Amino acid sequence: MILRDPSRQLDPRVQRLWALEWALAALVCGIVTTSIAMPLALADNGWAAVVVALVGGGITLGLLVLAVVQPRLAYCRFGYEITELGLYVARGRLWRRWQVVPHARVQTVDTKRGPLERLVGLVSVEVTTASASGGTDVPGLDPVVADGLVEELARRAGIEEGA
Amino acid sequence: MSSVGVTRGRLHPLAIVVFARRMIGASLIPVVVVAFTWRPTFVVPGLLALAGIGLAIVALEWRRFTYRVEGGRLVIERGVVRHTTRVVPLDRIRGVELQAPWLHRVLGLVRVDVEAAAGGSSAAELSLAAVSAGEGERLRQVLLAGARAVATAEEEAPAARILYHASPRVLAAGGLTSGRHILAPLAIVGVVANFADDLPGDLFEDLLGSAADRAPTDVLGVSLVVVAGLILTALLAAGGSVLTDWDFELADDGERLTARRGLLTSRSVVIDRARVRGVDLRDSPLRRAFDLVGVHGIAGGIGGGRSGRTVLAPVIAQDGARALLRKLDPEARVDTPLEPHPTAARTRRIVRAVALPSALAVGVFALGWLWVGVALLVLALVGVPLGLDRYRQLGHAFDGNRVVIREGSVTRRWTSLDPAAVISYAVGRSPFQARSGLCTVILHLGQGAGTRRVLDCSEEQAATLLAKLDAPLFQPFAAVPAAAQ
Repeated sequence: MILRDPSRQLDPRVQRLWALEWALAALVCGIVTTSIAMPLALADNGWAAVVVALVGGGITLGLLVLAVVQPRLAYCRFGYEITELGLYVARGRLWRRWQVVPHARVQTVDTKRGPLERLVGLVSVEVTTASASGGTDVPGLDPVVADGLVEELARRAGIEEGA
Repeated sequence: MSSVGVTRGRLHPLAIVVFARRMIGASLIPVVVVAFTWRPTFVVPGLLALAGIGLAIVALEWRRFTYRVEGGRLVIERGVVRHTTRVVPLDRIRGVELQAPWLHRVLGLVRVDVEAAAGGSSAAELSLAAVSAGEGERLRQVLLAGARAVATAEEEAPAARILYHASPRVLAAGGLTSGRHILAPLAIVGVVANFADDLPGDLFEDLLGSAADRAPTDVLGVSLVVVAGLILTALLAAGGSVLTDWDFELADDGERLTARRGLLTSRSVVIDRARVRGVDLRDSPLRRAFDLVGVHGIAGGIGGGRSGRTVLAPVIAQDGARALLRKLDPEARVDTPLEPHPTAARTRRIVRAVALPSALAVGVFALGWLWVGVALLVLALVGVPLGLDRYRQLGHAFDGNRVVIREGSVTRRWTSLDPAAVISYAVGRSPFQARSGLCTVILHLGQGAGTRRVLDCSEEQAATLLAKLDAPLFQPFAAVPAAAQ
């Protein structure tokens, strides 16, 4: 055990968001596979068509399985917490990553809403520091929770509102 | 802020020559095309017209380029077709580099490159192509004085302490052991072969043919040629290092570190001393054999290792490096004993060094390329001692003042770092690491300084290190409260 698990969890709806993302990827993969395999089959290139269909179909199937399985696991393994001195985020099961960003080092706190996030009604919060790779993010928060989080982070980091 | 004083300026008029050279470099091919395709009667007026247009553009470029320091900011205005203005607050300026390539040296000019902590700024826009050497020095004083009163810069600078002066002998040794210049002869052959196609007739082929005819075929002759080649390579390597780092000198005036170097192209870099938060000592097996290391400063906001702007000593004897480190950072301890990492890390290092070439070898054998496969297998075998050494070099320590991290074999890096320079912390663990109870601690440093990692330490070591680095921050996260103590 390196660090104990953080106390707060994401909004459960984030599972739907991630499932949607994986499903979209599967859809794109399926379309690409079909649009390559169909002309090949029509051009009497049977072998190539079968190979493309098998490989593409396999990847698509894999993405669909991920869409069902990954969101729940990722949700269970994602935690965040704000303490007196820093923001603590832990994520991932196989490739686990713990991040601790001291409030004193935070430069900006942003909220972001992509089209999919809007659909599900969630917001993600991004924290950047003076180090290009040293920031972190908390995806999939309820807008009210996110506002509170941003407020608290900004207050502790000493960032003026409207700056 | 008016105490800084307004300094307006244009580039030196001779900057036109520099611009012109740059332009000729870019437009040589059109000129050559014109010269060879047009009828001779048109060539002379045509070329004259081209030269006239070029000169006009260059002159305009010079006229439109102005810079000034006012209100605590550096303002650069430029552009013939599209006008651009760049404003950089002086307190964002991290370093100023004066460079004098050969043309600048002939004309007595310097190029001023300003390094500022601004996201996505391209270096070219913060560069003054050519000012007089005196103006360059003055500008540097003004820019680096920043928010501080410029008056102190006007006074005679306090006697700078020379921290390191590289002798040509050490530089030559550094070149010989760098391994970097070994590719130089190949590059020369490449360039010659490239131009050979453009030479008239079959000159190159003839030369090559006659050389081949005269090439010795007996054992003695071949070995003589090989030895001569090796000696030539070594001389080139030593020469290259001596040329670029000639007369390297690191001086310290209490506030700034100044590194000067170079024979043909002279460079001088100034780094704010307060920004140097740590030191990297880098070496290779060859350099280790001769007790030589390179010293690099870790400074946020100054273009990373590639730009060579943080070099504090290109090559220095091991003892010299210790003395230099003591002078740079009295808190640093070279002899801090390092905590070894668990033996699981050894297995991991070896597996990682051996697995890839072995897997490739299997694939290559399957394809029937026997010799490539054998070569890959040899590479895999070499991976065993390499992995062993990589594990031996792994280690970290924290004595309460400085974190020390060591990693790497072929390019080994020993880092001493002020924990206050760490921006944020992370710990990563892959499934393979999880199985052996290992993880990697990542310390994110300021922009440009990158990250330093403690590779493959045990989970307990990671927890202890983090708890010691920033006790109040990590106290709430401790797996077992107060276990670190």
